[in-house]
This record gives sequence, C-alpha cells and structure tokens, in this order.
Amino acid sequence: MVRFFLERDRVADLVKHLMERRTVYAPHRKGRRSFAFARTADPAAVVLDYPRTLHSVKKFFLPPREELLRFDLTDDTFAAGEPEPSGAAFLGVHSYDVAAVRRLDHNFSAGNAERNYLVRRQGAVFIGVGFEPDKFHFSGSVGIEPDDTAGCDAFLTKLLDGYVLEILTPTGRELLKGLELPPYEGNDPPAHPFQQHIYVPQSRLGRIMDKSYEHPVWAEASRTCVGCGTCNLVCPTCYCFDVQDHVDITATGGSRERTWDGCMLRGFSEVAGGEVFREGLPERQRHRVLRKFKYLSDTTGVPWCVGCGRCTAACPAGISIANIVNRLVGDAERTPVAPI
Amino acid sequence: MTRKPRVAIFDFTGCEGCELNQLNFEDQLLDILAHVDIVEWREAMDDRAGEYDIAFVEGSLSTPDCIKRIHDVRRRAKVLVALGTCAVTGGVNAVKNTRPIEEVREEVYGQDKYLFPTLPALPLSAVVKVDHNVRGCPMTQIEFLKVFTALVMGKRPIEPDYAVCVECKLRENECVLERGMICLGPVTRAGCDAHCPTVGQYCIGCRGLVSEPNIAGMEEILVDHGLSLDDARRRLQLYNANQLEGAK
Ligand code: SF4
Ligand code: SF4
Repeated sequence: MVRFFLERDRVADLVKHLMERRTVYAPHRKGRRSFAFARTADPAAVVLDYPRTLHSVKKFFLPPREELLRFDLTDDTFAAGEPEPSGAAFLGVHSYDVAAVRRLDHNFSAGNAERNYLVRRQGAVFIGVGFEPDKFHFSGSVGIEPDDTAGCDAFLTKLLDGYVLEILTPTGRELLKGLELPPYEGNDPPAHPFQQHIYVPQSRLGRIMDKSYEHPVWAEASRTCVGCGTCNLVCPTCYCFDVQDHVDITATGGSRERTWDGCMLRGFSEVAGGEVFREGLPERQRHRVLRKFKYLSDTTGVPWCVGCGRCTAACPAGISIANIVNRLVGDAERTPVAPI
Repeated sequence: MTRKPRVAIFDFTGCEGCELNQLNFEDQLLDILAHVDIVEWREAMDDRAGEYDIAFVEGSLSTPDCIKRIHDVRRRAKVLVALGTCAVTGGVNAVKNTRPIEEVREEVYGQDKYLFPTLPALPLSAVVKVDHNVRGCPMTQIEFLKVFTALVMGKRPIEPDYAVCVECKLRENECVLERGMICLGPVTRAGCDAHCPTVGQYCIGCRGLVSEPNIAGMEEILVDHGLSLDDARRRLQLYNANQLEGAK
C-alpha cells in the first residue's frame, strides 16, 4: 500500500489528471443544499466533502430510465440498445456506495446475468473518499466504516490541509501514474464516530427478523407513510424496475423502456386481474425492510442495507429505517430467542 | 385497421384550457388526423355526428343540463376519456362543494340565482362510466398523445398510480421540501414528469390524488413543515374537494 500527500490546493490537479485519461464522474452541488454525481467538466466544481449525494453511482450502471429496445411496426423488427462500458473514473465515492455497487454486482450476475448493467459496469474505477457521518449515516453498524477501502482502486482520506491518497490496485497505480505527489508519512487520520447506529448483533439478525413478521412497528410506521416510494428510489441497493412499451404518435414504431420501480408503490405488487398482493403500507414497509435485512442477507450473509441514510433523510414523513430496526431488535432481545 | 376511429371532443364546466391546449399541437395535429376522423368538436368545427369510437370530454358536471348531455355523450361513445382534472376529479370547480350549494348560488348570481340552476361540481365518473383519464390542469400534450396513441393502437392506456415524488426521484431533483417549500407531490398522481418541482416550484396537486392516498399522513407532513391543519386541508382541497369531503 502506497500513501501520498495531496495538498488541498492540488485537488484540482488530481481531477485534471483523471480527466485527461478518463471520463470523470464526481459529486457536484445540486439545487440549494444537495449534491449529485455528475460528469466533471470543471475541476473546481468537484466537491469531495459532502454528506451524501441524492442518488448513488448506481444511476450510471442502472439508469433511472433506459430504452431497452426500439421496434418498427412497419416491418415487425426490433433492435436492442447497445450499452457502452463505462470505463469512467468515479471520484469521491463514499465507502457505503462502493459497498452498494458490490451488492448490485451480485444481484445482476447471480442467476440470470443482466447484460446492460454488467456491460456498463465494466472498466469502472473507484476513487473513494472518507466522510464524516451525519445524523443519518449508520453504515458502521453494518460493517462499513467511513475509511473502508474495499472495492476502491484508490482512496482519499481528509486531513486538515489536504488528503492522504492511498493507491490500492494496479489499475489505481496505472491511472495515477505521472501525478507527482510526496509520500505521506504521518499518522492515520482520525476516525469519525457515527451519530446513528443500529444495534444489531449481526449473527442474530436473521433470527430477529424472522420473528418480526407480526410486529406492530409496521402499522406504526405506516401512520404517516404516504407510500410515495422515495425511500426505494434513493436507495443504492434497490434494483427493481418496471418495463413498458411506448408507441410513437406516428404509430409506425416505438420503444421498450425500463424505469426504476419500488416495493413501497401500490402498482409494484399489482398483478394481472388487478389483485394487489401486498395490500397496505404496513405490508409494503415490512417487505422493504426485510429485503434489506433478511431475504437477501439469509443467502449472502450480509445486510443489503449499507447504512447510507438516504431513505431516512429523503422521507417526507421522516420515517427512519434505523429506528424501525432498533425497535425490532430491542423487542426481540427482550424475549429470549429459542436456540436453533 | 379497416376504418379510422371517429373521435369527438366535448366540453363541460371548465376553463377550456385543456381543449385549447390541444389546438396548440400544430406539429402533431397532422399525425393525429392521419389516424382518426374528428367528427365533433365544438371549439374547432361545426359538424354534429351521431356515434363516436372515442369521446374526449373536458370539464366537470355542474348543472342539470350537463348531466343530461353527459348521458347522451356516453350513450353514443364506445370509449369515453375524461380530459383534464375538472373532468377527472371535479377540479378547482369542486371547491364550491365544500359549502352549501344555495349559499354558493346566491353569492355568484345574487338575485338572478333562479335563472341559473347549479349543482355541486362533479367529476364525469360520478355520473357515467369513464374508461380513461388524462389528468392535469391543464392536461399536457404529451399525456394526451400517450393516451390517444394507445387507444388508436387498440391498447389500454397506462395511467400512473404513483406519486409525483417518483418522477422527481427519477430526475434526481432536489426535494422542494428541502428548500422550505410545501409540496403535495407525495400524494399527487404522477404523469407530469414532476414538471413543477423540476423548475423549482412546489406541487399544488393539480392532477388529483393517487388511488389510495394516506391523507392523515400527508396532513401531518404538511403540519410538520409549518402549515396549520386548516391550511393543510385547504391546500389538499384545491383539486380534491370531492375526493376528500364528498359533495355537500
Ligand atoms: S419515503 Fe417515507 S413516506 Fe415515502 S414511501 Fe418511504 S417510508 Fe413512506
Ligand atoms: S435501506 Fe436506506 S439506509 Fe439502507 S442502503 Fe437503502 S437508502 Fe441507505
């Protein structure tokens, strides 16, 4: 592991260096108080010190809206879209978002491989950056620390006067070659404590969730939940989508489009004939939480929630997934869990 | 397709903003005409036909005469499409339904009130079967064309039943609640592609509600963001008086 010192004034040099070699996506300001990953045109516009972006980098591999194919009704033919490998440098990604990409890699390659995602994912280089947890982050409780470098090719950790730049993979070394930086010989930068936690004994989480099916918390959370689906749509590990065909006004052709969808939305569980199999908001909330902490975790051994806090920060009703989980854990721990 | 579908367009109580909007479609109008015969359209032509494959109906029902006419339209139309929020929910017109009808009549027409019979403003669906909706105040060309194309192709148009929040998120907008605004997007039916929040405005709910809105939850959200409960209710009522209160 090689560590360099990147003086604050030289951050722009790093961005320029990357831009000369690859397309760069990095956090930029968006709106009045928000941040979003965007293609970098001006090194000075990159923001490395931010709480969280509106969407994670997922949007580059699984776009919110995507044309899957175009069809021609005059000769009954169609042509599938050809996604391009991203090959981009993703600069300033937080550890939980890289962890989320790794979970999506699993979702889209296990079983039926999802071509479009996997093609776009090719060649992506991640240069992570540490973060200071705010009142919503709780990734530490699911094993993802702010300075966790897993999945990154290089990693930046903030100091008072700049960053420690750590090179982690041959790809990272190759990409950063030529950027003349002094080595960093100081101490490890201090770790930032989390303000939010979920109190889950990871080994018992599965059993706790098993017992949660009839818990009153689902109905309680649904008192103010309006079923808007925001929590699904901002989640870096949600990957459900809907597919619809659209015919052009000329009626000679059209397109098949894929759009992000979410299990909090009524239409998501509506099936042929109009039956809605997860009838109310309590059932949908339960499903959302169990998708993050049970169903996928039972088979993979890791929670599918990466503790980014987006769903809670963005919920108009202020519903907190950490509070829901803590309620379940608290109640389950009070009642003895039967031995397996 | 053996013959072109016969299309008729009618208006009831409303500002006719929805119909006028259609006339602005110069670019697409020729494409539309290639697929249908427009057989009745009060605003644009003078030709009264007997039967229609598709009737587009704008406006809410607010007089005894409206009720008679909508039954007539329904009898003659194979498919009836409500055009614009007035037709779909009763729209802004229905705000009057929150007060006793005699009081409203007196306030508007004064001593001439006996010349103007009036009813609570109702959506078309309160009186006849409506097959499809094009929402919005006014409805947008894009949505009209989507429904129109689906019908001409013999497909069922897809009406979104999720909140404006969804479209905001698909566009990665900063939430306007985040800017201290009060937004009805969380319970308002999407389809507008979150037009207002995208240009920095809040959603006033002009498209009506999603099919199973949590109104108590929405009121609580609005109160948490600084409105009094009365103001929260008034905001929600602007386009949804019939859905929230029922006619008085
Ligand atoms: S963001 Fe909040 S209000 Fe919207 S569906 Fe999720 S929990 Fe419910
Ligand atoms: S469930 Fe919420 S906190 Fe967990 S990864 Fe998804 S958005 Fe982040």
